[in-house]
Amino acid sequence: MISVFKINKWAGFALAVIGFSAQAAQAPQHIDVKQYKKVEDVVVPLPNEVFGALNKLGPVNWKEFVRTEKGANFSERPRTALLLGNVIADGFIAVQAQDAPAVKEIGQRVLSLAKGIGVGASITPHAKAITEAADRRKWESVRQELDRTQSSVQGAMNELQDQKLSQLVSLGGWLRGTQILTAVVSKHFTQEGAELLHQPDLLRYFGDRLTAMPEYSVPVLESIKRALVEVRPLIDSGSKPISPDAVRKINEITTRLDGEIVTR
Amino acid sequence: MNPRRQGIFILVVVPLILGTTAIASVDDAQSFALQAAEPYVREGFQVREDYWGGDLAAGEKKAVRQQLFKGNEYWFWLGTEVGHARISVHIYDKDGKLVEQPDSWQKGHYAAAHIVPTSTDSYFIIVSIEESPEERTHWALVYGFR
Repeated sequence: MISVFKINKWAGFALAVIGFSAQAAQAPQHIDVKQYKKVEDVVVPLPNEVFGALNKLGPVNWKEFVRTEKGANFSERPRTALLLGNVIADGFIAVQAQDAPAVKEIGQRVLSLAKGIGVGASITPHAKAITEAADRRKWESVRQELDRTQSSVQGAMNELQDQKLSQLVSLGGWLRGTQILTAVVSKHFTQEGAELLHQPDLLRYFGDRLTAMPEYSVPVLESIKRALVEVRPLIDSGSKPISPDAVRKINEITTRLDGEIVTR
Repeated sequence: MNPRRQGIFILVVVPLILGTTAIASVDDAQSFALQAAEPYVREGFQVREDYWGGDLAAGEKKAVRQQLFKGNEYWFWLGTEVGHARISVHIYDKDGKLVEQPDSWQKGHYAAAHIVPTSTDSYFIIVSIEESPEERTHWALVYGFR
């Protein structure tokens, strides 16, 4: 993927001109969304998207969620993929906490896991950039490199026809992000915080993807599949708001799953 | 070129050149989408590294379903490398209601849609090639949030 914002001054000038001459977009007020072919079932957000929304609801003590323990290494590729997503999410948490030593350790851990799964070459430059940016406390650069790391890992997996492993990386990150989200909201419950859990399409998406992986007979995947069924009614409460009890219960479930993901 | 070398050229080199051209075009579309995003980065939008793309005929549309979070503000930027194409991007909620902000815009081979979600849910980003001199037009969609 092309990296971003090194456009030349002429391109900048052209965009400035566009800014003056662009038209307001005209579009129908209503459409039947079911009639459109989809490019992707549903785009899985990065953990920092939900962390960004959480930050706007009030101060969060991110330092208490920073985790750098090395944890187990696995020989099963699906387990490593899940863990990789989980550790990248830890990287985003360490960025929120502005914890440079943690970011650097996590960068190295990500590199070692990626090597273990055969896609290390794709992220070696990002791991180096993460360390350098953390040393200079350039948090926006660290965040961008973590994003690139996940994108490169998944791109490399897709090139190797390992799309299912790529989906497990997303799932690992989403579970860790949801665990942290529910931990924060449980501590200081607000309706707005709980609403961030309203992600029924993502839940269905992950459930469908796991069902399509019968070749991975790994107990943790079975646990996650069962847990998604447990979580669904808690977050898809119709017109009723998501309750403090539901948030606490989802935190218990995702914490249990996190334990299964990171330990042997 | 002797017939054997000619055969090798046709079988090996031509597909490689054609393949490279096709990949480069989607990448080019992405670089145009990123150009559209560039001024917003200076306003604090974090642009995600991943992008979604492909090719469409004029008049065709496609949807990207996306989980958005209330509290964040999002821009979606669409680009194509086809200079005389006219493209558009719009944002609808699950019920098919247009929910983008009025400052969403389109200009030739760039377009952008802006949303401040009023609820955390999944939304539909509809991309369209409205006019194009090409039979198939590459497009790429990137997004950012703050």
